[in-house]
Amino acid sequence: MTPPVRTNSVPHVAVPRPDATVRLRILVVEGESEGGGGTDVLHHVGQWAEDTRLDVEAAPDLPRAVRQLAGRRWDIVLAVLGERPDDDLSWWIDTLRAANGTPRLIAAAKAPSMGLVLRAQKLGVLDVLSLPLRREELVRALERLRNAATETAIPLPEVAHHAVGQYALVGQSPAMLDVYKLIAQVAASTATVLIQGESGTGKEVVARAIHVHGPKASGAFVAVNCAAIPENLLESELFGHEKGAFTGAVTRKVGRFEHAAGGTLFLDEIADMSLALQAKILRAVQEREIERVGGTDTIPIDVRLIAATNRDLKDAIKQGRFREDLYYRLAVVTIRLPTLAERGDDLLLLTAFFVRQFAERYGKRIGAISDRALDMLRGHAWVGNVRELRNVMERGVIVATDDVLRADHLPEELRGEAATRIDRPEGGLLTLAELEARHIASVLAHTQGQIGAAADILGIHRNTLTRKMKEYGL
Amino acid sequence: VSGGPPPLPPVRVERALGLMPELEALAPLRALLVSISRPDERAQWSSSGPYLTLGKRGVYPDELRRHLPQVLHRVAEHVQVLSKAYVEALEAQQRNDAAGVVAALLRGGGLEEQVGRLAQAAAWYDLALGVAEALQDRRPEVEALRAVGYLCLRRGQRADGARHFQRALALAEAEFDQAGAIAACEGLGDAVFAQGDWAGSYAWYNRGLRLAEQADDAAQIGRLERRLGVLARNQGDLAGAGEYLRRARERFESRGPADEMARVLSAQGQLDAELGRHAAAAAAYREALAWAQRAPGDPGLELSVRLHLAELDLSAGALLDAEAELRRAEQVAIAGNLPDRLAQIYTLMGTLRGAQQDETGFVFFEQAVELARAVEHSPAAEAQVYHAYGLFRHRLGAHEEARAYLERARELFDALGEAVERARVDAELRALSA
Repeated sequence: MTPPVRTNSVPHVAVPRPDATVRLRILVVEGESEGGGGTDVLHHVGQWAEDTRLDVEAAPDLPRAVRQLAGRRWDIVLAVLGERPDDDLSWWIDTLRAANGTPRLIAAAKAPSMGLVLRAQKLGVLDVLSLPLRREELVRALERLRNAATETAIPLPEVAHHAVGQYALVGQSPAMLDVYKLIAQVAASTATVLIQGESGTGKEVVARAIHVHGPKASGAFVAVNCAAIPENLLESELFGHEKGAFTGAVTRKVGRFEHAAGGTLFLDEIADMSLALQAKILRAVQEREIERVGGTDTIPIDVRLIAATNRDLKDAIKQGRFREDLYYRLAVVTIRLPTLAERGDDLLLLTAFFVRQFAERYGKRIGAISDRALDMLRGHAWVGNVRELRNVMERGVIVATDDVLRADHLPEELRGEAATRIDRPEGGLLTLAELEARHIASVLAHTQGQIGAAADILGIHRNTLTRKMKEYGL
Repeated sequence: VSGGPPPLPPVRVERALGLMPELEALAPLRALLVSISRPDERAQWSSSGPYLTLGKRGVYPDELRRHLPQVLHRVAEHVQVLSKAYVEALEAQQRNDAAGVVAALLRGGGLEEQVGRLAQAAAWYDLALGVAEALQDRRPEVEALRAVGYLCLRRGQRADGARHFQRALALAEAEFDQAGAIAACEGLGDAVFAQGDWAGSYAWYNRGLRLAEQADDAAQIGRLERRLGVLARNQGDLAGAGEYLRRARERFESRGPADEMARVLSAQGQLDAELGRHAAAAAAYREALAWAQRAPGDPGLELSVRLHLAELDLSAGALLDAEAELRRAEQVAIAGNLPDRLAQIYTLMGTLRGAQQDETGFVFFEQAVELARAVEHSPAAEAQVYHAYGLFRHRLGAHEEARAYLERARELFDALGEAVERARVDAELRALSA
């Protein structure tokens, strides 16, 4: 592998600390449903405006609110949710995402359910207040926003990365160093490689790195995502087909195996392949030849095969969903990629790398990240690993308005998580009901809404769980 | 959360639907299954996540079971309102009120249309028309012909639709039924507009507008002005389009129905987009969504606006935003039981992948073709997908395949008599040869 490339240093950016006593611009949007109590909200906020340092304006209805949002920058939108609070909340989140300066949302509702509060938190809503509005609750939400404004800029570090075409390997953690060593060892041969790792850990980048440093680097690198392609099309995609072989075979098609001749074929998410197709792949690997669908000629193939999966293939073999003989053919060398959580401070390096990459793409100049934004990144679970981080950084760079990536530029979900972590010590301890509701919500998220499985985990009867879900509005 | 047995994976929608017989009685169950399906959270960040389509979404049998009472309640409710319409028809028959019979039968057809049962709606309307034809008062027949005409348009039978509106207009004029005549002109304009006859469409809308102005019918005037605005934009008269839409907007803003205001703003957004005013277009679409939110019960309207927004983002190269908008539109279509609109969404998703030079984007076109055939039963929709599929292949350098798909689109448009669309495809094919 060639030595890592160092990106250009970005000048240190001095960022003034924002004034926490600044007046906030708030747009109050009254509910449109009958008896929504909107008038009271506007009346109260108007009364409290001076001592809470608010500049208040009102929108009589949703369409006019959208017009006012498009017209100027707002810090906060205080929206009264109607009779379908969940739908209204989703609508507001969607609307504010596109609004000028991404204002924060305070939602007000009559007797908000625990489910609504949890959902709002997850979506990054600043607060959910119950109607009639109480001054101290509004003040607490405003303080939270003002405290959040006091962010300190941290210059982004320089990053050494290893370019792989348009991709890059970034990271200096021990876990990644082991991966680099394995890539170096395996690249020189033409051995079949199996790359295992959770979604978004960079399996395709590693496959490309093996290809470009291997003996078939002058040939093509052809990637096939086996899970993305419908089962009925995957065979013809891989092996090609003759014209008229089946309905829809409008022309003769050369498959990916042939496209990869003299190069590397990367089969991503291979565990999603049917057993019948696995048998055909096994034959291609063993015999080094294929036949197009509907064809009779045997076509020799000269490709290096790299396969990848985010599943446990040994487990799949035990369940009869993956062929053992194919597994041993593919796993001549196995590379296991670490999750982002296992990579420690690579998070900061990757953040810096992506910020620079996207800043260049979108013509921006961002040299620092705020301490609060970094805390949010460090506190997030990153189930989507590097892919999720990349996505978050691209969005962040797009919405960033100055030279610092701030907490407000991160997705609502991350801000919501931070609010949950940070706010409770200030707001006091959780009640038993709150704690129970949160735990039930998290178990339901784990079981993806399956009540039976959730009840098993919680050790209660499904009827009890259903009752509690209703009670907490989950 | 740790401990406990690992949850069973969901069943893919493509497999779940494959296990359901194609019985009309199971249509509500099919709709429920699709509406509660969700993308597998484990796949969200996987490399196949960006290619997720309806077939690859997951459904939990447990969740389906939980929702069953809801669907059974909806079915019972539908049968109940249909039965009520029928009883009302009987009561009208009993008191020898034939116009009442027609009105009740048309109500039944309308209820069927609302839930997307178009063949059943046709059965109600045909009955109503049969009764109306025997009456001396022709106004019920005008109403019935209009209902049948719009149903024909929904089913892609444009020539039939035009024929019914033509007859409705002749009868309405003979009866001095001005409201009926205005509505018939509007329908005729819609029918010939869908056939690409701009001049004919203009003539009908304009005639309807003059009648509506004579009758001082503000709602009809606004509706026809919007249609004339859309037509003018299609004809390239952007200034004229702006003027019509401005007038329609003024008319609806203070007292018009929210859904009409949303449609006007949506048309305004398209006009702004064509004029290259991206920010203004986005603002118009956002406001249209706000009006659509005030007129709940028509997810199709929200979906249309979201598709326009996605097209706007796509044309501006804001691919991330376009993708997010398309995913929202997909969710609206799935939750709102509008699977027939998914073909359009996936076609745009495929086009987006083409803009990213992403070959795997072909999976969206394949899914769209399947939906156009199996769900929408619409050769016109299938032709549109093949047209876009051909352009996608062309963009990625697969010229032979591009030609084959464009020729397939031309064949389908030909069979449908869609001259305008056929001409567009012909132009693409000529460009391909050059």
